[in-house]
Amino acid sequence: MRPLAGLLLSLLLGAGAAQAHPHVWITSVSELVYAPDGTLTGVRHAWTFDEMFASYALQGLDSKKKGEYSREELAPLAETNVEALKEYAYFTFARADGSKQRFSEPVDYFLDYKDGQLTLHFTLPAKTPFKAKQLVLEIFDRSYFVDFKLAEKDPVKLVGAPEGCQMKFERPRDGSANAQTLNEQTFASGGDNANYGVMFANKITVDCP
Amino acid sequence: MPTSRWLAIGLATVAFVLVFDGAWHALLAQSPFGGPRPPAEPPVGGIVGWILERQSEFYREISATIRSAKTDGSAVWTLLLISFAYGIFHAAGPGHGKAVISSYLVANQETARRGIALSFASALLQSLVAVLIVTIGAWLLNVTARTMCSAEKTIEIASYALIAAFGARLVWVKGGGFIRALQGERGEPALAVAAHHHHHDHDHGHGHHHGDGHVHDEHCGHSHGPEPSELAGPGGWRRGLAAIFTVGIRPCSGAILVLVFALAQGLFWAGIAATFVMGLGTAITVATIAVLAVLAKDVARRLSGARDGGGALFLRGIEFGAAGLVLLFGAGLLFGYIAAERTTCF
Repeated sequence: MRPLAGLLLSLLLGAGAAQAHPHVWITSVSELVYAPDGTLTGVRHAWTFDEMFASYALQGLDSKKKGEYSREELAPLAETNVEALKEYAYFTFARADGSKQRFSEPVDYFLDYKDGQLTLHFTLPAKTPFKAKQLVLEIFDRSYFVDFKLAEKDPVKLVGAPEGCQMKFERPRDGSANAQTLNEQTFASGGDNANYGVMFANKITVDCP
Repeated sequence: MPTSRWLAIGLATVAFVLVFDGAWHALLAQSPFGGPRPPAEPPVGGIVGWILERQSEFYREISATIRSAKTDGSAVWTLLLISFAYGIFHAAGPGHGKAVISSYLVANQETARRGIALSFASALLQSLVAVLIVTIGAWLLNVTARTMCSAEKTIEIASYALIAAFGARLVWVKGGGFIRALQGERGEPALAVAAHHHHHDHDHGHGHHHGDGHVHDEHCGHSHGPEPSELAGPGGWRRGLAAIFTVGIRPCSGAILVLVFALAQGLFWAGIAATFVMGLGTAITVATIAVLAVLAKDVARRLSGARDGGGALFLRGIEFGAAGLVLLFGAGLLFGYIAAERTTCF
């Protein structure tokens, strides 16, 4: 029976492992926008796509100059993007002191194309602006079709945040001690409600006095 | 009946449950839809992370290599190598027909060799469809990604419907066998013979060819449904074609992305070559899993002892279950409860 068990184990691994795989890579820069009264009014994202997806997205688009696209020329594509993202809740999930917050449809969205990089800019207004002692914002695709990565430099900015607010962020794979890292334990202990992509979440935490 | 035999049957049952549970979960876990919450996978150790990392690495290297191939022709070889490796790792993910092909092979008395052939043929078709979509859509007509995406979506829905129809046919055919086994009709000798693919001239008095790609089959209502031996073995290529088409019609999003990128870089041919090599890698993984499924069933058959009534019932049960699984996959995919691989539509 032992060889059989071996076979079955490898079969299980084949079926159970790697059930998700990204096809799109996004480098994210985000700004958390606060109103003067200290409430969070929205999140402004700038998502840069990987070059393979960028050329796919740009396929067939008309431009006056080959290989260059103006913001106007990209406007229809930006429209498509934000419409499509709705289905995935814009991959942006916020909790204020533990309670889930919702976002309205994006405003001020546009695409720009610079140095071969396609970046989608959009602002997600909070459905109801809120105050939080602790805000947790996560950016991830739970089915892990899109791989989100916080930009190397200044991935998160607080705009107009109240005095004394502290921001920290965790990358999914930075291996830091307190981060929600991708370790054996995470995989082994994922409860019934855990979902796969959350292990690849980028977590931003803002603590305010 | 010796206890060891019952033990063996028990073990084989557990094995099958595990195998299909694994495949099933792999599919379910993908749902980006609001539907049922994706169940947590209990992946084993760091292997998961490792496979994911490799996959991502290879995939990202593909674009870099296409870029460098523009100036350095030898980079094309690197490209092919990476694409091959990517195909192998990538196919471990959802889609690519592993579940459908394996279930199909188990539901029918198929041989491992046939499993390999089916895997390669469907992977080849998958590559071909990807190349065709991009050649016609992007190269000839220069449509936008949005238009290409709707084409992909249409094909996707068609392929899910095909899987469901294919599964329905299998359930219809296998359900009959299972019920007859339940009723204690003696279908086991044929089962035993089919296992070794001997030429068997036993006369059950129905030489009609069953269900070659037909969803309905008027003969299946008869008490003398098709013997498993009729559904397998030589001459079943037409039926095999249905499996190939069902699985292979849906292209992989990754291949389409690579092709469009290669086209934009002015190296379309390199993208096409990469796509086919990727398909080869995919085929190897799918074939491995398919062969394992066939072997597992073979072991189960031997252990359960085909001449024994309980064993035959057990095998028919497995076949019926596998057939049901194909139907469930198809229906689940079609109605959005299971998302295989998402199309790149944003």
